[in-house]
Amino acid sequence: MVVNEFPQITEWLFGSANNPSAIYIFFLLILAATLFGLFFGYLVAAFRHGPTEAFYVVAKVVSGAGPDWLKLSPRRTFAIAKLAAKEAIRRRVILIVFAIFALALLFGGWFITGAENPERVYINFVMFGTQMLILMMVMLISAFSLPEDIKNRTIYTITTKPVRASEIVVGRILGFAGLGTGLLILMGIISLLFVWRGLEHRHQIATNENNEYEFVEVDRNETGRRASDDAILETRTTQDSGHTHFVEVLRDVRDKDAPKPVNMDAVIREIPAGDKTIYERLEIESVGGHTHKISVEVDSDGTEDLAELLKKAKFDISSARGFFRARVPQYAEKLVFYDREGNAKSRGISTGDQWAYRGYISGGITLSRAEYYFDGIEEGLFDTSDKLPLELTLGVYRSKTGDIYKQIRVGLQFESVNEGEDATGDRYVSEQLEFESEEFSVQVKAIPRTLPGQKFSASGELLENGNFDLFEDFAKNGRLKLTIRCLDQDQYLGMAKADIYFRATDKPYWWNFFKGYVGIWLQMMIVTCLGVAFSTFLSSPVVMLAVICTIIFGFFSEWLQKLASFTIEGGGPIESFVRLITQENTSRPLPEGIVRNIMTSIDSVFINMVGAVTQVVPDFSRLDFSDFLTYGYFVDNDRLLVAVFISLAFCLGLTILGYFCLKTRELAA
Amino acid sequence: MADTATDKAEQAEDKRLVQTNPDYDPSVIVETQNLSKVYRDFWGRQKVRALKALDLEVRKGEIFGLLGPNGSGKSTTIKLLLGLLFPTSGRALVFGQDASETTKNERIGYLPEESYLYKFLTAEETLDFYGRLFDMPAKLRKERSDMLIEQVGLTRSKRRQLKEYSKGMTRRIGLAQALINDPDLILLDEPTSGLDPMGTREMKDMILDLKAQKKTVIMCSHLLADVQDVCDRIAILHQGDLKELGAVNDLLQVSDETSIRAKGLPQSAQQEIEEVIRKHGGEVLTVENPRTTLEELFLNIVRESEQRPGRRAISEQDAENGEN
Repeated sequence: MVVNEFPQITEWLFGSANNPSAIYIFFLLILAATLFGLFFGYLVAAFRHGPTEAFYVVAKVVSGAGPDWLKLSPRRTFAIAKLAAKEAIRRRVILIVFAIFALALLFGGWFITGAENPERVYINFVMFGTQMLILMMVMLISAFSLPEDIKNRTIYTITTKPVRASEIVVGRILGFAGLGTGLLILMGIISLLFVWRGLEHRHQIATNENNEYEFVEVDRNETGRRASDDAILETRTTQDSGHTHFVEVLRDVRDKDAPKPVNMDAVIREIPAGDKTIYERLEIESVGGHTHKISVEVDSDGTEDLAELLKKAKFDISSARGFFRARVPQYAEKLVFYDREGNAKSRGISTGDQWAYRGYISGGITLSRAEYYFDGIEEGLFDTSDKLPLELTLGVYRSKTGDIYKQIRVGLQFESVNEGEDATGDRYVSEQLEFESEEFSVQVKAIPRTLPGQKFSASGELLENGNFDLFEDFAKNGRLKLTIRCLDQDQYLGMAKADIYFRATDKPYWWNFFKGYVGIWLQMMIVTCLGVAFSTFLSSPVVMLAVICTIIFGFFSEWLQKLASFTIEGGGPIESFVRLITQENTSRPLPEGIVRNIMTSIDSVFINMVGAVTQVVPDFSRLDFSDFLTYGYFVDNDRLLVAVFISLAFCLGLTILGYFCLKTRELAA
Repeated sequence: MADTATDKAEQAEDKRLVQTNPDYDPSVIVETQNLSKVYRDFWGRQKVRALKALDLEVRKGEIFGLLGPNGSGKSTTIKLLLGLLFPTSGRALVFGQDASETTKNERIGYLPEESYLYKFLTAEETLDFYGRLFDMPAKLRKERSDMLIEQVGLTRSKRRQLKEYSKGMTRRIGLAQALINDPDLILLDEPTSGLDPMGTREMKDMILDLKAQKKTVIMCSHLLADVQDVCDRIAILHQGDLKELGAVNDLLQVSDETSIRAKGLPQSAQQEIEEVIRKHGGEVLTVENPRTTLEELFLNIVRESEQRPGRRAISEQDAENGEN
């Protein structure tokens, strides 16, 4: 999953160096829309009533807007909402949408296969399906309602009652939104059950042809498999849901007074050995993002041989765990790359096409490295107090093949960050932790809480060699530097800011699931408001077309913004066209001259127009959290709040647009 | 009690309107000044001049009829008064307020040409919905809708969806929704269209009943007999122009003719009267026994049939055979 740089809510609202304030843009747009509305309204009125009378007409509409909103009656509004909902139910769109959803779930399960992270496919499937169906449904019901009322003239009996245009618009929006919300909740619950049922499976320990459990010694030479370091025996589970797990017997040696293993049910034997205790325990290797809990009961009749003992043991393997997770990544505040000469760079070394998202560092004896600066690392964030889970997704670029089974080695080093008022504090530098990278997957490294390293004074003098605590020493002020190096000569490691993070305690899954659906709900609200606002002045098919176009623009908003900010190579439409027919490549600048100037000026008009469009079209990608759910990341509150604010702004603007259009429209014409 | 409360509210509203508009005369319910309407197409080109400089005044408590052939501007006038259309020039005032004001609708009831109601609602739901639109509390809504359903004779079908209703029933529920707020001004667009003679008579009785309650009614129709029966004053429109305006009685009176109706007069007396007329220089135009109207005949038959069910009409041939 690609995680974009994301500003904090206050930064987003009030602006920072890189981001203009959202409130400022909102008011600017409101001002522009008001001015445009007044001008356009005046133009139409002048055309109908003459230039002088038009002033009074516009003034009357504007002055009438205040009371229309202030005196909005809840009873009338809800009566209209209820009627709109009833009417929509009668149209059977909901029934059809629900039937499609049910059918998709009934048969969709057949096509979802694969052992590698099946939860991603499941969640992606239900979320995409729900999103599309809900958006389509609210679009249809909102596009048809008002135009149909006007066509059937049922609107006559409404507007001849003391009903204000504001109540008609708000009532309808509420009615459709209520209906959509109900359906969304239903679909959400069914989806959750569907995903849970689809992923639910259990295994048994596999038996040999004599129908007995057979644990064998770990074969460390087997390619493609990395057994745990302290594994002594292993076997497999039965194949269920298209996969099996390795079950290992670990020889876990701990200090006598050290904490016991978390799952004591999986311990086969507990053997005291001097000041140590040996726990021989079972562990199930995780497959495709999930694992199971195993418990074992052994009949200790004096059998010394572990494999023999396990032949007669009773095993119990729980249902799958780990599919439903809401990881809370603690991302770094800053990432700095260093090139081979040790110069700080904002981007890594280019390895060609892969360069766009990840920056690369080169391996071997160079000064190339990447430094992640973390802030706010506190003990309270992590529930596993003796180990800190660090998750890495590293890209690898090999400039020589070498041993294809051998992974690229990575070095990690922790260091305290003393800046500003902490500048006089002691500095701690850990020894380098080394391990092999795993390509194409999220690698979880448990970082021990106490790390061997050195303590330096502020002046750089070595004070102490020893073991230091990650929270109390290294990250005493909450800040921590993580340096990552590639240890293999001529190979490259690639990373982006979001690729390495400490994984804080997971949040409850249902809460994340709810947030994901709030994203869909927000999109639904915008589409409802779009439908209702457009239907105050357009006919049903045109409303649908307009809403669909807006949704498409909305989903490609990011791309359009890029287009409008001149970052796409090849120029605007005219320049691209010229390049196309002259077969000029896109990266070479066109020859200077008047022709180029004319072309670029025409293009810039077009591109500015696109830029303006991107400002008034909702950026749906900001409201879409399905990727977070699919990949099991917690939707942080800042993102959700930004999405809520964006939706609120659009709904407000569209409601007001709908109000003015309905107010100034002759319903009987 | 309810009536006094409504009257008080009405007085308060009138007082407010007098304060805000010194020209406001509470006895003038509707006033149009130079009211014109031109229909245009999308490009603003003139299509039809539907109403030309209409000046009207409808006073409190009268039944005012708008007459004219199809396309004469009757419906346009009503829609302008309701604010469904905006005037091209001139003004339409209702209760002294501009017709585009939403608040004037508090005191208006409107029965459209065809009852444009939500067909998936039942009669009860319909009245409840429109009651809500007047911001009426639940208890009052229930009271009003029960009363109106009974008044328009839909008690037995009040739980049926409107899509199952006959045209007559739809008109009745349409009228009931127009009266839900106990309005002071009722606008009826072709109130008797689609009704059978019984229904027509009941509708006319209800209109007269409204007059008795001192309500103001404006109706438009091209069924002249209906207009004649109930209206106090009429306006005749043709091609958007006001052609005639006045009290029905004055307009229909043929002032140079006299008709005498008498009962039990022998033939000799008739001749005598004719002579008296000639003696005074008058001219006898017709002397005949008056006929009843077909409406009267029909209603008498239906009423009789309701009183004596089972009696069947005898064909002329059977009647002759019976005599033989």
